[in-house]
Amino acid sequence: MLKLAAAAVLVLLLFAVPTLAAEEPYLIHVLVLCCLYAIPAVGLNLMLGYTGLVSLGHMGFAGIGAYTAAVLMVDAGLGFWGALAAGLFAAAAAGAAIGAVCLRFRSHFFMIVTLAFGLMLYAVMNNWDDVTRGAAGFPGIPRPGPLGPLSFASLQNFYYLALSAALVAFLVQWRVVRSDFGRILMALRQDERLSQSRGVNAMFYKTAVFALGSALAGLGGVLHVSFLRVAAPPTFSFAESINIVLVVIVGGAGALAGPALGAAVYVGLPEYLRVAAEWRLVLFGVLLVLLMRFAPRGIAGLVADGWQRLLRRSP
Amino acid sequence: MLTALLEQTVNGLMAGSVYVLVALGMVLIYGVMHVLNFAHGALFMLGGYLCHFFFTRVTGSYPVSVVLSMIVLAAIGIALERGVFRPLQGNLRNQVIASLGLILVLENLVIALWGPNALQLRVPATETLVPIGELRFPLQHILVIAVTFAVVLALFLFLKLSRLGTAIRAASQDRQAAMVVGIPVERVDWTTFALGTALAALGGALVGPLFLVFPQMGDAPLVKGLAGILLGGMGSVPGAVVGGLIIGVAESLSTLVLPTDYRDSVAFVVMILILLVRPRGLFGVRVRGED
Repeated sequence: MLKLAAAAVLVLLLFAVPTLAAEEPYLIHVLVLCCLYAIPAVGLNLMLGYTGLVSLGHMGFAGIGAYTAAVLMVDAGLGFWGALAAGLFAAAAAGAAIGAVCLRFRSHFFMIVTLAFGLMLYAVMNNWDDVTRGAAGFPGIPRPGPLGPLSFASLQNFYYLALSAALVAFLVQWRVVRSDFGRILMALRQDERLSQSRGVNAMFYKTAVFALGSALAGLGGVLHVSFLRVAAPPTFSFAESINIVLVVIVGGAGALAGPALGAAVYVGLPEYLRVAAEWRLVLFGVLLVLLMRFAPRGIAGLVADGWQRLLRRSP
Repeated sequence: MLTALLEQTVNGLMAGSVYVLVALGMVLIYGVMHVLNFAHGALFMLGGYLCHFFFTRVTGSYPVSVVLSMIVLAAIGIALERGVFRPLQGNLRNQVIASLGLILVLENLVIALWGPNALQLRVPATETLVPIGELRFPLQHILVIAVTFAVVLALFLFLKLSRLGTAIRAASQDRQAAMVVGIPVERVDWTTFALGTALAALGGALVGPLFLVFPQMGDAPLVKGLAGILLGGMGSVPGAVVGGLIIGVAESLSTLVLPTDYRDSVAFVVMILILLVRPRGLFGVRVRGED
């Protein structure tokens, strides 16, 4: 109950930021980016954190969603909302199809194959000039069209949209984790053979979570390119796929709040510290290695431990 | 057509040699520690940068710079084994994620120190042309192939004949049994790491003069090296050599029929097909704990 109230207050606060800090468009810009990283991170958390599938090509699926939506909006003249739905569907379908291949492999092999697919998707985005406009990027992607009286052209309103999308992603994660489906995923993470011996169709559930994770990546991808108004292959490169793994791990893989915490730290902290981009990634790499050694459950794990200790100390 | 075929074969053997150097390092480390070091491409890149540094700032001699960068990378390899991989032993996921963190650290450290732009490494061997039939290749091409051939030969002799090499093979076959018969496996671990990272440095230092030195120069060799390992059979040292060369030649020959933009995808397709059709690779080593 206490947790629920705290979460509600936090959400209200986040929605109130544009009114509280109306003079600071920069802050809102940073918060939008946080949301845009948190959404695919939620998808990866379901795969990596809850099911134990370390995918090294996650952002490739965000790219499928983003480019599908971009082509439909710019070349086919479809509205944003239709394109968003199509992008989500394309990412989920690609996730199911590619996942069905990748999931035939385990451990190292799974990682290598997802890495290879991620790079192939990147090669297609980078080279299929007729459709994706190639390495130069895909310009002219519109901001979301108005939804009833609500227009998303301004930064402030786009922030509401991104935050809502992140909330939806979070709620999906919450529903999944608390459902039988989620419990099966966690069982598969802990012992796949044992789960199978209890009658779980492991391949089906793993493919399903791969598709769901990819759909969330696609949601993030569509919003990302709509926010930047251009789709460029580097947004969906191998380096970004690693970064998103890092976001999940730093935040805390297998914790509900992990992706949000990770995204906040990944995007927010360096902006706050004002360090150059390359030093920020050096810092994050070091942080990641240190976390693996000393706190493999990430920031969420550290917070949970601190909370436990606090509860124990108070009489 | 025949000329083009010959040209692409030599190019492929050259690229394949580089993949072999990366693949060998990864396969050796995988053998004894049972972890794939995804940061191997970044270490390869660091080898290129260090070679550039020693060549332009310290000594004017290219061979000396190559050896120096190998030595420094071997030391870094030992530090990584001690500081990162050994403490995480037993948890594959954490080791792999730590190696991803290392990619970030190394790539961005290099960008912070040397800037994001590609550097030229001008050595005399890229200017000299060697005629083969009607074609003329830069000496550096031939040098890459020859040095790799010599290194592979030396490595095989080392693994076959020396005490330490035998210990490495024993630890790869069965770590616990190796411990039981008194092989110091921890020493084997760090020497293997040093050997593997030195091989990566050699690769980076050898291709630096041909394709410039830049922060992402290790990404492709990492993936191609992985493809070579899978093709040859995970954990097989001869497999890594044959696999790396096949990948190099296959992608080079593919440019005769496919647009060059998709050359890199050949390795991925080969990799996925081999895993689907013959997951143990050409040399069919049994894969511990992976199936």
